[in-house]
Amino acid sequence: MMATSGSILLEARDITKSFVGTKALVGASLTLRAGQTHALLGANGAGKSTLSRVVSGHVRRDGGTVLYEGRPLDFRSPRDALDAGIAMVMQETSLAPDLSVVENIFLPELRRPGRLSFSSMRRRADEILADLGQDRAVSLDSKVQDISVAQRQLVEIAKALALKSNLIIFDEPTASLSPSEVERLFDIIGRLKEAACAIVFVSHRLEEVFAISDEITVMREGRTVAASRPTSSLNQTELVRLMVGRDLGAIFASATGPKPIQENPILSARSLRAPPLVRDISFDLHRGEILGLGGLVGAGRSEVAEILFGLRQRAGGDLLMDGEPFAPRSPAHAIRAGLGFVAEDRRRQSIVPDLSVRENLLLGHLGAYRGFGLGYRSLDEKIRDLLQKLELSPDRLDDDNLLNFSGGMQQKIIIARWLLLEPKVLILDEPTKGVDIGTRASIYAILREIAARGAAILIISSEFQELLGLADRVVVISDGLSIADVPSGDLDEEKLTLLAAPRSSMERNQRVLRDLAAEHDGAAFWAILDEKRMFCLNCVAANPAADLGFRAGSTARFEETPIGVALSARSNEFVFDPSNGLSSLLVDVKSHRGHELGSIGLVLGPNQPVPAASTLRASIIERFRAAV
Amino acid sequence: MTPTTRSTAPEMNRAPRSYLKAFSRLEVRMLGLALVIAIALSILSPYFLRTANLLNLLDQSVVVGIVAIGMTFVILTGGIDLSVGSVAGLTGVVLGLSLHHFPIPVSVFLAVLSGAAIGLFSGFLIAYFDLAAFVITLGVMAIGRSLAYIFSGQTSITDIPPEINDLVYTTLFGIQSNVLTLLALYALAWAYLTYTKGGRTIYAVGSNREAARTAGLSVLFYSILPYVISGALSAVAATLMSAQILSIDPLAGNLLELDAIAAVVIGGASLYGGRGTIIGTLIGVFIMVMIRNGLNLLGVSPFWQGSAIGGIIIAAVLAERLLSPKVRR
Repeated sequence: MMATSGSILLEARDITKSFVGTKALVGASLTLRAGQTHALLGANGAGKSTLSRVVSGHVRRDGGTVLYEGRPLDFRSPRDALDAGIAMVMQETSLAPDLSVVENIFLPELRRPGRLSFSSMRRRADEILADLGQDRAVSLDSKVQDISVAQRQLVEIAKALALKSNLIIFDEPTASLSPSEVERLFDIIGRLKEAACAIVFVSHRLEEVFAISDEITVMREGRTVAASRPTSSLNQTELVRLMVGRDLGAIFASATGPKPIQENPILSARSLRAPPLVRDISFDLHRGEILGLGGLVGAGRSEVAEILFGLRQRAGGDLLMDGEPFAPRSPAHAIRAGLGFVAEDRRRQSIVPDLSVRENLLLGHLGAYRGFGLGYRSLDEKIRDLLQKLELSPDRLDDDNLLNFSGGMQQKIIIARWLLLEPKVLILDEPTKGVDIGTRASIYAILREIAARGAAILIISSEFQELLGLADRVVVISDGLSIADVPSGDLDEEKLTLLAAPRSSMERNQRVLRDLAAEHDGAAFWAILDEKRMFCLNCVAANPAADLGFRAGSTARFEETPIGVALSARSNEFVFDPSNGLSSLLVDVKSHRGHELGSIGLVLGPNQPVPAASTLRASIIERFRAAV
Repeated sequence: MTPTTRSTAPEMNRAPRSYLKAFSRLEVRMLGLALVIAIALSILSPYFLRTANLLNLLDQSVVVGIVAIGMTFVILTGGIDLSVGSVAGLTGVVLGLSLHHFPIPVSVFLAVLSGAAIGLFSGFLIAYFDLAAFVITLGVMAIGRSLAYIFSGQTSITDIPPEINDLVYTTLFGIQSNVLTLLALYALAWAYLTYTKGGRTIYAVGSNREAARTAGLSVLFYSILPYVISGALSAVAATLMSAQILSIDPLAGNLLELDAIAAVVIGGASLYGGRGTIIGTLIGVFIMVMIRNGLNLLGVSPFWQGSAIGGIIIAAVLAERLLSPKVRR
């Protein structure tokens, strides 16, 4: 069954696929070799998911050929693909939440006739997990709904291996994992490679792609623009250029520096709570500002937007609009207060398929309109201007089905729907999901323009690059807590990734910091340091004399902290600051794979015994790697 | 942005659309079907095209036609109203009992008000508690019929003032007032659904409730309103029915819901909501009435009529699914 390492396992050529009115794939190709990890890259809407789904039998192709182990293949269903040894680990897992882990691993066996032997299934599940080096990572008897996202992924992988799959496709597997969970996943992928599996890794996190892949295929607008290039032959800039067809800098070209923030926020959230996903979220939004809500999928960002827009009731906390208490009961109420909301799921939350494109554009107006008739006429001029700005031709409005438009066109219409109301606050949840790169540029441009004219914009995006390029300031949300509020100019993707990591890993590293602080009767912190600023990710003080006044999420320039001398010195030894008597040791931690995991600091109060730095460094690195 | 972006975005083939559009408009197809049936019947029966028969056709369309307006509103929101027949029966009894105490206009008003109240009751339960319209209106249907029997004392009410006849038989340009009422109500309903905020909201709610809510439309109000309209129009139909035969039977309007739903569906509305027109419904009503009338003229046993109507409903829905350019999810 297993092919020899390096031989061609699957070859897809000139694949085409159209959905209603949309050409998702126009001549896409992919060649996969046994024992190799192949990264499949592309911007949103480039067709990488569709191509993966064609290979895994979830979608039938319209044209082109697929050769698998040299034989032509035509899957009619995912089951055919599974039988052939091709499995896909999806973003939204395909597990049955009410069944146990072991039942899920062997779910495909349920269609076999005869009795199931739980004892043999259990034994085989143990073997599979042991092969992956994850013996005790998950209990076989837990219900899938009770385990973490990373554990679910492990179950999916085990499920694929139970079917003796030798081609496994990972579709954005790291989107909601913490850095240490990502490491573990990469270890698993490494083992799969050793077993001569072919791996497809779909992602848009470039640093991960470089860390794990052997070859890279890049897609753009439904076609393959670079096929099976060795990863070592490419660098990040080249990859981005291949993905977007031009330099990315141009897209965010109009990025301005941080704007002076006016005194009074137009919208303030104070300790918003709506369990289980929103636990404690605070931020201020000012006129003329683009504020980003960053974080991982499932961190509670969309739920915050829904609270602001009256789609979800809050259990606690305060909202202030222009300084007045604000309690939106319904979207209609929020709209009257001056809010607009471009929701994440266009098909479900925005598009009304049976109304014409014009009426879809005017739907927000219809909701806000107080008269009995329609009041469409009075808006003709405004619509014309708006369409011109969005580079839409007015005759498109007479088409009668918005669903026939591309994702980018749909999104422009939906954004125009809200701009027509001239909202004071516009909230956008993943506004460029499924939107082509050219349309993105015009969406960014118009958002900047309305912000420049005084509107406040709150944007939620899982694409850190977009968030950093567009927002003036980013509030990072993790596990329902707002943990940092940072000007985007001070952030980069790596820092954002660490800040956004789920708090479950935070609790483990908190323990390490607590132990460290207690053992030395000082304070311990975990932070990201750049040339002049620190971003505190966590901080524990056992001794009040060594308390630094940091908390998770606070940022400061070095000289503003009590240990500025040590932070600037970046020494391998303890640094003593005579002005306040504090001794500090900084240890940079990298993962086994060379990922930056930030720095650990240990601060000792005046007159504390100072231990030997070299042995301490090694032990800190060891303990922290295990905990992150 | 450069023009290249626009050309890479998938475009629809626009040139032949105007013809296609005219053809794919369901009402146009159904109007075609109605004409085919009319021509066939006029060939088969010399009486079919006589003025007297055509006026008779219109007269026979009144009750089911008026009820079908309300049913169209309800079905556009993705709901269904099974209670229209029994509400017609009950509001007829309300009319009969009121006529014992009040003048005609007050009695008619009370009947229509009671119909609207019943619609409000069903609509509120369905929309506010998000209950299945099928089940709630099934319950109301049973309650309505039962109350009609109780209030009427299980017999027909025949002692009603004969002047109420004028509601049906006053003529204008040679057309009976019940037919004029039917046409006026269709014109109103058409204007409302096409040119008002409420009408477009009903479409939006039926097509995508979540999106309508997110856009700030009053989803709750416009989910309830169609049931109120349906209840009120059932009472209007009951009034014209009673006025025509000067007798009120608690069993009146039995199975009226089936004819009304059939007319709406033949007229091209989608039971998932969001799709359908009031003109389509009117054509659907005419198709049904013509077939009944034609089969009578041809001397076909009335027992075959159910099969004919049923066959047409199934054929209409099947044709819609097969001819429709894209399959709805």
